[in-house]
Parts: sequence; C-alpha cells; structure tokens
Amino acid sequence: MGKSDSLLLKAAAFAALSVMSSSALAAGSDVTIVLDMQPDQVDACQASKSQVGKVIKQNVTETLTEIDPATGKVLPRLATEWSQVDPKTWRLKLRENVKFHDGTPFNGEALKVAFARLLNEKLDCEIRVKYFGGLTVDVSVLGEHEVEIKTNTPVPILPTLLSTVTVPAPSTPHDDYSRQPVGTGPYTFDSWQAGKNIVLKRFDEYWGDKPAVTSATYVWRQESTVRAAMVASGEADIAFNIAVQDATDPKTDFSYLNAETTRLRIDVPIVPLDDIRVRQALNYAIDRDGLKGTIFSDDVIPATQLVVPGTNGHNPDLKPYAYDPEKAKELLKQAEAEGVPVRKEIVLVGRHNFFPNSEEAVQALQAMYSAAGLNVKLQMTESSEWYDSLFKPFAENRAPNLFLDQHDNTSGDASLTIYAKYHSKGGQSVLNDKELDDLIDRANVATGEERTELFQQAFKRIHEDLVGDVALFHMVGFTRVNGRLEFKPTLATNGELQLAQVKIR
Amino acid sequence: MSGYILRRGGQSLVALMALLVLVFFLSRLTGNPTDLYMPMDASLDQREAFATKHGFNDPLYVQFGTYLVNIAKFDFGDSIFQGRPAMQAALEAFPVTLRLALITMVLALGLSVLIGSLAAYRPGGLFDRVASLLTISSASTPDFWLAIVGILIFSVTLGWLPTSGTGTFWHWLLPIGVLLVRPLGLLTQVVRMSMISALAAPYVKTARAKGAPKRRVVFVHALRNSMLSVITVAGDQAAALINGAVVVETVFGWPGIGNLMIAAIKQRDFAVLQACILVTAVAIFLMNILIDFAYSRLDPRIRG
Repeated sequence: MGKSDSLLLKAAAFAALSVMSSSALAAGSDVTIVLDMQPDQVDACQASKSQVGKVIKQNVTETLTEIDPATGKVLPRLATEWSQVDPKTWRLKLRENVKFHDGTPFNGEALKVAFARLLNEKLDCEIRVKYFGGLTVDVSVLGEHEVEIKTNTPVPILPTLLSTVTVPAPSTPHDDYSRQPVGTGPYTFDSWQAGKNIVLKRFDEYWGDKPAVTSATYVWRQESTVRAAMVASGEADIAFNIAVQDATDPKTDFSYLNAETTRLRIDVPIVPLDDIRVRQALNYAIDRDGLKGTIFSDDVIPATQLVVPGTNGHNPDLKPYAYDPEKAKELLKQAEAEGVPVRKEIVLVGRHNFFPNSEEAVQALQAMYSAAGLNVKLQMTESSEWYDSLFKPFAENRAPNLFLDQHDNTSGDASLTIYAKYHSKGGQSVLNDKELDDLIDRANVATGEERTELFQQAFKRIHEDLVGDVALFHMVGFTRVNGRLEFKPTLATNGELQLAQVKIR
Repeated sequence: MSGYILRRGGQSLVALMALLVLVFFLSRLTGNPTDLYMPMDASLDQREAFATKHGFNDPLYVQFGTYLVNIAKFDFGDSIFQGRPAMQAALEAFPVTLRLALITMVLALGLSVLIGSLAAYRPGGLFDRVASLLTISSASTPDFWLAIVGILIFSVTLGWLPTSGTGTFWHWLLPIGVLLVRPLGLLTQVVRMSMISALAAPYVKTARAKGAPKRRVVFVHALRNSMLSVITVAGDQAAALINGAVVVETVFGWPGIGNLMIAAIKQRDFAVLQACILVTAVAIFLMNILIDFAYSRLDPRIRG
C-alpha cells in the first residue's frame, strides 16, 4: 500500500467512524455467519442438505450418534449406547435429562414419533431418501430411555446411519415441513426473516456444556468476493465456500478437505472405451501434479477412489496412476493395432460453475488427452442437463463419453457411495461386473473388519482391474474465519457447523 | 379515457393468459425436477415414486389441465424445494425488487431531466461536454464490476458503508448507486437529445418572441414536449428493473424476485417460476397502463 493510500485511509477512517456504528459489526459473543445461499427449508428432516445442516444440525436438532470427522468413528450424542440383538434388531440407550426447547422431555416415545415423521412418505425428506430408502424401521419403547429398533433387512451400519437421524420435538407437524424447528440442541431457532437472516439463540437448559457463543445470525451472499469482504470488514465472523482466488489471507483463510472427490466417469460399455487399454491410457495421460497448485488448489489430494481417507472402506494401498504420456500412447497403439478405433471422437462432459475453475479443468484435461493422441471433444452442460446425463437410463446411441463427476460422502461409510456409483444396479453406474457386484453385495451386509476389507477389495477392483474412472482429486474448500474466533473447519464442515465448538478469543 | 384504459386492460389480460400458457410449456421442455431435487444417491425406484407423487409422470395435457384449474382457483402450486405455496415466495421477494426499482427510477428520472436539460441549454458547452462524457461511460459500465469494486472500495478499504445486506439507510447506498448508473446515463442522453430538438422547434421561438423567460421556456415548454421519448425509454428501463435487478440482488444479498426466478429456473421449481413471472408480468402491465396514462396527459393527441 502506497503512501497516498494510507493518507487517504486515515482521512477516511475519521469519516467512517460515524457511519460504521450504523452497520452491524460482529462483536462480543454473538457471531454472524455467511452462507453461499439461503436454505430452502429448515426442517429437521432435511438436515442432511448442506445449507440446512450448517444452520440447524447439532445446533437446533441433534442426531442420535455422530461421526468423528478425524477418525470416522461413531460417537454417542442423543443415544449413549447401542448393541445389536440380532441382524435386524438393535437396542439403544438414550441420554437422560434431555429436554426439547419447548420443555417436553426427550425419551423413547419422542424418538418413536421422530422416526415415524422422518420416514413419512408424505414428506420428501432428504434423510429418508438418502439413508433409509427401501428400509422399514420399527421402533418399540422398552423403557423411558431405552428403545428397540427393528428393520426389514439387516443394517450392519445402523449406528452410522443414526448419525443422520435428527430428533425434532414431538410437537412438530407430522405431515408438513416446519419453518420453526424445535429440538434438543444447544441453540433455539429464534427467527427466520425470509431472504434476510436466521437467528439462533443459546438454550440455557441444554444438557451439555454451555457454549461460548450466545447467539448466531446466519446471512447469505452468493458472491464469494462479498462473503470474503464481509469477514475482512468485520461484518461477519465465518464465511463459507470462499473461492480460491479470494482466499488471499493465510491468517484468516483455512483450507479443509471438503469431502468432495472429483473424477471422470468412463463410459465403459461404449467403443472404444470398452477396451481396458484405452481406459488405462486415459489415466496415464493425466498430469495430476501439474493440475495441482494451478487449476486445482495446492491443497487437493490426488485420488484413487471416490471416498476420502477416514471413510470406512477407503483403501489406502491404492496408488494414483502416474503421469506417463508415453505409456498412454503405447497402450493406444496396441489397442489400435488390434482394431480398436481409438481415434473415435470421445465427448468430455463438463459442467458450468461446478467448482472453482471447473471450466479450466476440463480444458486442461482435453489438452492432455489430445497430446496423448485421443480425439476428445468438450461439451459444457448446465446443472439440469448434467443431472440428466448422470442418471440412468443412459441414451442408447450415445457417443462414448467421459463425464466430470463430483461426489461427497460424509456418512463415514463407503456403502453410500459404492452402490449408486459402481454396482450394476446403481443409478449412476456404467459398470456391469459380476465380481464387483458380489463384493459390494457382501460388503453391504457385513460388519466390522470384514466389511472394511470387502469395500477395500471393491475399490481395488474398480481402480486396477476395471479402470472404471479417472479419479482426480479429493477437493478442498476455503473458509474465512474472523481472527476473534477460534474455529478450524473439518471434513464435517460441509454439512454442519457446530456453534458449540466455536470459541471466542 | 376510461374506455381506453379498459381496452388496454383487456388486451393485457389476453397477453397475460398467453404468457401463462407459454411459461407452462417452455418450463416443462427443460425436463422434470426429480433429479435436481433428489439426493444423488437416491435409487431409481425412489426417483420414480417422487416423480409420480408430484405428477411429473402424468401426460403433459393432464398436467396442463390441473395447472389451469388451479390457476382459476388462484392456487399457484407449491414450491417443491421450499415446501410452501409458490405465490407466497414470489410475493415475499417482489416488494424488495419493486422498492429498488422505484427508488432507482425516481432518482434516474429526476437527475437525468436536470442534467440533460442543463446540457441541452448550451449544446457543446463545457457542462454539456462533461455531462456527455460521464453519461456515456456510465451507460456502458458493467454493473457486476461496479458492484464488486464499490464494495472493495467503500466497504473493505474505506469502511464507510456495509458490504451488503439490508437494514439501515447506509445499506441502500451501494445497491442504488450501482443500479442507478446505467439508466441515469441512458436517460440523460435521451433527455439531452430530445431537448435539443425541442429547443430548436418553432414554438420555442414563438415563446421566446413573446418574451417568456428562458428558464420557463426550457423547463416548461420544451421539457413537456420532449418527455414523451424520455418516458418511453424510462418505461423500458423500469421494466428491466422490475424483472429483477439480478446482479445487484445477487451481489448485495437483496432477496428480490430476480434472484428467486433464476434459482427456480436452475432447480426447475416450476410453480415458483410461474408465480414469479405472473407477478412481474402483472406489474409490468400495470406500469404500461400508467405510461399510457402519462402519454395521454402530456400529449392531447393520444387521448382520442
């Protein structure tokens, strides 16, 4: 900053004093949080959606268990103990002396009501669709603080799934969404001025430790620059999803693995992608190190599979394909010699505004493929068009494609990724491999180490034997945090912001 | 006069109906919102169930029939994403946009008449040249850039104004400032041009010959006659603003209808899209009637 700038600043500072008093400045134990969009709803049963979860999950409504973002372990929350009676039956002990914000006690009956509402088909609740599809759950109350949960099929990861189950007060309307959620969490839902802000206030009868933050105001701004500016100017304390070019201050801007993984789905059934050498060449042709620190952030991790380290089933032994353009050319040559039409046009499907620099990313990938001798055409799509191509049914006469995909799984278990993406019956899967299906089917009903190993074998089969995709990176997000707060984003930050964990310096 | 307004109202109603039909079919052409609403890992069965439950699997003519019957009952459907009546969302957002548009247009009209007339008073003079330069550059400045730069200068560097949001008087300054720039530039140019030609008209010479004071000649005789074209352009600008000051709403976090409409298009939230278009269309039709009324006050030839 030059001398004239600082003079100007000094002159301005005086004039500013009178004005700034009128614009809300973050101070004291009240915090202001900037999201990138307004939540559509705030109902407890939608808390798995990232915008909803950041406001209410574990703040207003709590879950039965929670996942430790560092280890993936299941920790107690509203349920203190759990045990499996038989493959389809679990028993839970519930936390005692817990009250909802409206004064009613949390007990077995309340949980029964909450479960019935969560699985109510009249509501399009994401938690039901995402985690309890095809499951029937029967809750019987054994005692004031003990319940038995019976499911129609074995659910070995029930404790993990319970980390998604939010428990709203029994007074919540059964057949309608609530815009004023009532839960057991450390904060009450005070107000929602549509379009403007949401205010949470500390609940003084909370069962756990008293949090430092007394109230939180959530606002939303779509522009990353504006969100970053709000923390810089002191109007806000935490700003989510700051673009890499706005994360310019290492003192306030933290990168964190945001649980998203980027890949290209290879259209395996279509010529010439049905040839494994072509698929291997697609992997060897990519300079992941070159992309890192340029188009992608310097903090991303080259990926070998669609789940992040720490997820149950992640295979740490897999190695990313090395950048070896010569090998890629050689593989293509071999394939061509055997009559595989490797010069056939392949469509690389990108998506506008997918993630920061996603346009540049697909252009770079296209250039790398061209250099390897492949004929790759770019096709950019809008999100709705992109979704149409993501899901089955796939068009019959489609051109062979590489589909830019991004996936996040914060549940702590690989099952929520692998079936949809790779099982022959999965809604987004182009693979049809008996051995893989068998591994996935067995893993899904297994428990403990056996489960972990089966998923690991499945990821090995996808990565090495089938080469079903071009795994790119485990992605990072940036959060700007006002220096007056002590808060470090984690893997869980994409889906929740536990205000009780925020400290004031 | 009342016959004229009645006729215009009738025409507007027909156009409104046509618009509603068009919006229905155009939005359905984009596909159905199931995949956008459901989590990515939902099974095909779940997707089917969702689409069936919300009627997206019905033949289009059945969906259209339901749509018409509901509109006749003033039921504009529920937003599947917000889980509440779509019209409620649209009516919540519209006043925000309307306020922005009104204040901007009042300021733009007032300032442009003043600056434009003064510039036309002595064409080629110093004031005219400075004003022309400024208005041409402001009419061609991208508002997105202006908004971001405005925040960086006035909020982050100088700390004079809040970056964004609503609440106090100070929150209005940047958004209105950014919104004002383009219509002000454009309208000033129009006022200047039509004033110059009005001042050259024979009736001005007559007025001057009668000995009417120069200020009165400019601001009463000539201005009234040059207002017709100004109102036309102002109406056009106002319509654009009412449709949503999208950039300003987005950057400054003003929850207006432009923002809502774009989100609805992206999510294929048809009910919200229809409600937004209906609300803005009605507003624009009302505004057109007002403009016609203004024409007829200014120019007796139109009153016929």
